[in-house]
Amino acid sequence: MSRHALRTRGRDDDTVQLYLGRRVGWAGSTVSTQIRVLTLRSLRTAFGDYRLVFFGLLQPVVMLLLFSQVFSGIGNLPGVVQYQGYINYLMPATLVNIAMTTAMSSGVGMLTEIYTGFIGRLRTMPISLFSVLVARTLSDAVRLAVQVVVAIAVAVAVLDFTPAGIGGVVAAVALTIVFGWGMGWVFVALATWQGKPETMQAISFIVMFPLMFASSAYMPVEAMPGWIRVVSTVNPVTYAIDAIRALCLGKPVGWALAAAIGLVAATATAGAVIAARNFRRTR
Amino acid sequence: MQRPRISVVGLGKSYGPVTALVDVNLAVGPGTILGILGHNGAGKTTLVDILATRTLPTSGTATVCGFDVVEAGHLVRKCIGMSGQFVAVDETLSGRANLILIARLLGAGARRAAARADELIEMFDLAQAANRKAATYSGGMKRRLDLAASLLGKPDVLFLDEPTTGLDPISRSELWTFVEQLAANGTSVVLTTQYLDEADRLARDIIVLAGGHIVARGTPAELKGRVGTRTAKVTFADPFITRRAADALMFAGMAPLADEPLCAITVPVATGREISALVRALDTWSVIPVDLTVTEPTLDDVYIALHNAARTPA
Repeated sequence: MSRHALRTRGRDDDTVQLYLGRRVGWAGSTVSTQIRVLTLRSLRTAFGDYRLVFFGLLQPVVMLLLFSQVFSGIGNLPGVVQYQGYINYLMPATLVNIAMTTAMSSGVGMLTEIYTGFIGRLRTMPISLFSVLVARTLSDAVRLAVQVVVAIAVAVAVLDFTPAGIGGVVAAVALTIVFGWGMGWVFVALATWQGKPETMQAISFIVMFPLMFASSAYMPVEAMPGWIRVVSTVNPVTYAIDAIRALCLGKPVGWALAAAIGLVAATATAGAVIAARNFRRTR
Repeated sequence: MQRPRISVVGLGKSYGPVTALVDVNLAVGPGTILGILGHNGAGKTTLVDILATRTLPTSGTATVCGFDVVEAGHLVRKCIGMSGQFVAVDETLSGRANLILIARLLGAGARRAAARADELIEMFDLAQAANRKAATYSGGMKRRLDLAASLLGKPDVLFLDEPTTGLDPISRSELWTFVEQLAANGTSVVLTTQYLDEADRLARDIIVLAGGHIVARGTPAELKGRVGTRTAKVTFADPFITRRAADALMFAGMAPLADEPLCAITVPVATGREISALVRALDTWSVIPVDLTVTEPTLDDVYIALHNAARTPA
């Protein structure tokens, strides 16, 4: 007899009846319970593997180190020189970059769970699938918060990042998280729209790189060739970065903040609607 | 028959130009095991996915536990359990954490969820591994955890989509015993399988799907009755005796199929009388057999016959 034999073997039906026969009488869970339980689950998964946590935190730090050193010359360009060091110009962009990377991994993570079948089980259960989506984006927002805080700490400690004040930094972090959460919906919608994780990866990069580079992230928009300048001025990421940069460095924010928040709200809504529609059942 | 737990009328499904299911009709009563037999791509999983509200049908209606799968999906999902082809647990969590998670989602409070999880852990003999990550489990253990997760809410209808694929023989037979007990306690089970012995062992009703059509249905015995008869296999000491025996049987008016190198003859024997005649013929010619076995036609024979029929263009 196998070591892992089912305990039901040799039992009479009454025993099985005891386990299975009576109704459990569970009335079903509320959406808020579903969101809480599923968010906590995702967080346990995300922070359960210390290697994953370590390299997840290391990635933005490495990116920050490389960009700040390799492109330090940009710090002397007109439009940047007034920031007193490229790191002060770069750091807000890095926050947005971390937000984009995390949003991208939301989509990939979602698709992976569609593939492992876990989502397939949830789809046969009496729960709202919208809470599955909300839990995914919420837990990734928490992950993003941790990454952003660590990256800022490293930048201040090692790279002479000199933000204007604690209030501004807190506001910048908050906006980064809201921005990342909104973008998360876009990638989650992408994940529910198409099939393979590999395709998802490829599409994500195609979406992400133009958005990041054709913006005010790494270079002042004025220093770019004409056509990229046009793209940059319509690129939503530019406004998010401008707002976060202004908050970080204590400069006047102006209407960039309103534009950024409006944009996040619009993308989150569109993403949520598309994701929820694609997610319910295969047609 | 009692009011059926599952009732399917004229169900069809097509993905664009590809037809996955055509005019499927069936009914499953309480405590019944329905076996859905078919090769890859026959439409088994599509049918189960429609009944488990994961896929919308393109035509026809289906009710599960009295609820329409299209109109009242949420109510259907309250009374079903599903264990699919792939193990659907969160492998980064422990077995216990997985079960508690599912129980919480079904509406159990923290304490009751933990208690129910422990019940199933004990029942499926996962106690030693309960706090280990599911990723470290063996194939059989993962399958048991998956089944436990499907049974947390004590469903009236359990869907098992190829549940024993990749299991070792002992785990398979344990799972079979368990499914039988479940059904004996009133759970309706819909089981898809490619394994004929599995359908034969478990299901009293079998449908055979091919190309989205139900090409045959009935009890295992009825399906077997559709093809061939019983056969007797007689073995001999050497090829010379085997040839002599074949002559003897031919002389007695039978239709022996001799495999001389293997010293074996197979003969169709529809009735007991024919078995006597076989022995008498050998005795008359003074041929002594080494061994004689009579075998029933298997579902394999049915399956192959149906498959060949389906391939022949109408």
